[in-house]
Amino acid sequence: MKRLLAGLGFWLLSQNALAFDLDQLSAQLAKPDVVRGPLIQEKHLRALPQPLTSRGQFVLSRDLGLLWQLQSPLKQDYRIDSQGIAKRTPSGWQQQPDQDVAAQQSRLFLAVLKGDHSGLARDFELQLSGTAEAWQLRLVPNSVLLKQIFSRIQIDGGALVQRIELHETQGDHSVLRLPDSQAGDALTEQERHDFAQ
Amino acid sequence: MHSERWLPRGFLLLLAALLALAAWQWRNGPPVAADMLALLPAGSGDALVQQAEQRMQEPLNRDLLLLIGHPQRDQAIALAQQVGEQWRDSGRFAQVQWNVDSDLAALRDYLHSNRLALLPTADRQLLMEQPQQLIEQRAAQLFDTFAGFSLLPIEQDWLGLGLRAQQALNPGSRIQADLSSGALLLEEPGMTWALLRASAKGSAFDMQEPPLIAAQVAATRTQIETAGGQLLAAGGVLYAAAGQAKATREISLIGGGATLGTLLLLLLAFRRVRVLVSLLPIGMALLAGCTACVLVFGQINALTLVLGASLVGVAADYPQHYLSKSWSNAEGSEGWSSWGALRATLPGLSLSLGTNLIGYLALAFTPFPALTQVALFSAAGLIAAYLCSVCLLPAWLRGLRLSPSPQLLSFSQRLLAGRARLLAKIGSAPLLVLLLLFCAGGLWQLHTQNDLRQWLGQEPELLAEAQRIAELTGQQPTSQFFLVRAANPQQLLERQAALSQRLDQAVQNGQLRDYRALSQLVAPDNQLQELRSALSELPPHWQPLLDLGIPPAALQDELLELQQNNQASLEQALASPLGEAWRPLWLGAHADGVAGLVSLQGLSNSSELKPLIEGLPGVQLVDRISELNALFSATQLSAAELKLLSSIAILLLLCLPFGLGGALRVVCLPLLAALAALACLGWLGQPLTLFSLFGLLLITAIGVDYAILMRENIGGPAVSLLGTLLSALTSWLSFGLLLISDTPAIANFGLAISLGLLFCFLLAPWAGTRQSTANQAQTL
Repeated sequence: MKRLLAGLGFWLLSQNALAFDLDQLSAQLAKPDVVRGPLIQEKHLRALPQPLTSRGQFVLSRDLGLLWQLQSPLKQDYRIDSQGIAKRTPSGWQQQPDQDVAAQQSRLFLAVLKGDHSGLARDFELQLSGTAEAWQLRLVPNSVLLKQIFSRIQIDGGALVQRIELHETQGDHSVLRLPDSQAGDALTEQERHDFAQ
Repeated sequence: MHSERWLPRGFLLLLAALLALAAWQWRNGPPVAADMLALLPAGSGDALVQQAEQRMQEPLNRDLLLLIGHPQRDQAIALAQQVGEQWRDSGRFAQVQWNVDSDLAALRDYLHSNRLALLPTADRQLLMEQPQQLIEQRAAQLFDTFAGFSLLPIEQDWLGLGLRAQQALNPGSRIQADLSSGALLLEEPGMTWALLRASAKGSAFDMQEPPLIAAQVAATRTQIETAGGQLLAAGGVLYAAAGQAKATREISLIGGGATLGTLLLLLLAFRRVRVLVSLLPIGMALLAGCTACVLVFGQINALTLVLGASLVGVAADYPQHYLSKSWSNAEGSEGWSSWGALRATLPGLSLSLGTNLIGYLALAFTPFPALTQVALFSAAGLIAAYLCSVCLLPAWLRGLRLSPSPQLLSFSQRLLAGRARLLAKIGSAPLLVLLLLFCAGGLWQLHTQNDLRQWLGQEPELLAEAQRIAELTGQQPTSQFFLVRAANPQQLLERQAALSQRLDQAVQNGQLRDYRALSQLVAPDNQLQELRSALSELPPHWQPLLDLGIPPAALQDELLELQQNNQASLEQALASPLGEAWRPLWLGAHADGVAGLVSLQGLSNSSELKPLIEGLPGVQLVDRISELNALFSATQLSAAELKLLSSIAILLLLCLPFGLGGALRVVCLPLLAALAALACLGWLGQPLTLFSLFGLLLITAIGVDYAILMRENIGGPAVSLLGTLLSALTSWLSFGLLLISDTPAIANFGLAISLGLLFCFLLAPWAGTRQSTANQAQTL
């Protein structure tokens, strides 16, 4: 009987652990066509008492990619899509060199926001915990090179991604907060224009 | 006779010794080298220039670069990893690299302490001229999500100089390391290429390795294509393998073709199977030539073998001297005996050897190692063939009843009769005038052309792949480079920095894509001084950074550190993880000081380099290709002089039997033939190259044979002409076959000789004396 109970308990536990898995997370994050909202980026440096904080807006389109618009103190727009990363200049979007390490980071970034775990699983060990309403995904790099850059990445969210924490091996860390994201079903005229160019 | 007994025995003894020596030489496989370029003359520069050339050439010879492409990035990486591991396990390579497992910690350390010295020109100028902008750019960077990945943490690099130096480390390179696998990737629309580098063990140009490596590349290609990918490969090893395969093919074709042709000719002419033992001198010639070359040079080059294979035709000539005399007796071959015929023709045979030797040895005095080898090969071969023909063959042919084809003799008689009728109608003088007119017309149209490319056979597929790789990687190393000498490392860096300034200008003007100098890795002290004084002017400009909340003390500390930090010495820098790409550029210390190189990438016009270095002390442009092309042209002149000298030597030799008048006649004929061959090249629109000139150099030596045969006139003019015809045919067979060679230099050589031999044969009857013409009239 004891055994049976133990078995039952184990079954319940494992069911619980499987309750929210990576596939479900991906499906959940891929549901809205468009997500947009404010962004707050904080760079926490060991040497500075307060973080370096930037603010802006972002637009994530499931099909087209990401618009990342820093507004203060720096004004700078980025676009990340299947083509790579582009920077807005007075003369229009300027594609950044695709081979750059920054470009690889941006690809990683897009995968994180979209919950594309197959892309992430190549470079990281993934640990998902929590429920569909409040989950936490922990990414630990598994390649020698990445390990020397990030110690871990932690993503928190519910229906949408709310917070991304990047811990650098050297001790600094950055926090990206997306506190008030809204799901939508269509891009505005301006956004479509930005993706199209 | 006594000599008839001991001559063959003595020769067999000699042969046994030769065979033993050859067997010992081949004990570790064939001592054959495939490096065609090794046969080019050494550069005219001093020891340092040659060291530099070797340094620049070495990676080209040993390194193999593969690009493994796949439409899917993951697949490309997986394939590169798979191939990389297979290659590493094969044990065939000294080094196989498909990923970077860089030790970032060491890199960070070095970058941190040397960031000021590593600053590229543009950033140095920004710091010195527009410090305000430098600070503003840095402030913006700190808030930028995608400003770029920095090796140094911000608190070690407030001013961002480390990031700037880091970004300059891999300038313009399209190759980037994949962060997760460390694979070196090149992205193209629809294709990801993963890079794999391998260095062959030992020299790429020994005979064993290149074919094995080429086979491995072929197997890898199949493997990758099966997986839906694509492979591009480039490296000197592959060229060596292709050249080697080609040389083997050509040697067997030329040597085999010539031997087979000669064999058929002998059967047709003498109609006795035993006459085939007279092919023996061919084998002797090749054996002796090969053994002599290995004995003197340690190995024999494949190119020497190809050219040497044509010796077959000349070596086969010697027995013809006495075999052809079997026609001379009216009753057929009854009166012909091997030793008797040899005795009658021995003086002519020896003269032939003498003149041939003079001609071939003349080649040895050209500044081309290739021709020195060919000369030695041929001289040894000819002597062996001569000895074989004189000592052994008569014994083996003894008692043989040749059945010379009477049709051939009557054909020869008809030829002579035709010539006699022609001369009766027109006379020699007008014919000579006609020939000279033909020559003048041809020479008028002759143009010379000398280019290193003739030396290298074309390998269009290899070339196309190499070009594609250069396009993709953006790396197009040029064969030109700068050698910079100085008294000490500090002065060397100053001199390279001065040169770099001008090269920066050239890069801006689009004359050059990029360059690599030691001064990029270590800034000279005077440059550092300027930067340090610019740094002390920085504090008034750094308010934007203070506004971010960065403590002033942090900035002060960084400034102090930058100003006081001792930068690495040149040798330390080269030993550091960053220094790898620069290591080949450092030639080290020598008796008069130190020396280093500056290498170039993507040069549009090499003639623009010379004016660039005017007024720069210690800087020398090393341009081997231009130098070689110039040398080719200069050598043409010396080849002409050699030809004259060898003609005089032959003339002196021939004076002994023929007297001055006869000798002049015998020598002038092949010279005239060479002239006519030259004219033919003109009429055919073929260029005169150094190699065709070398061919013509040989004509005098070989062609004089025919004139001697005619002049000696043993057995009457028809018999002599027939002997000449047989000799000429065997020579044509071998030299003519050189025409099929893919290497322009060899084909050119073959064409010139074939044409020259044709004219030699046509002109040979004029070598006869009046008396012999009278004889001829009698026989007819």
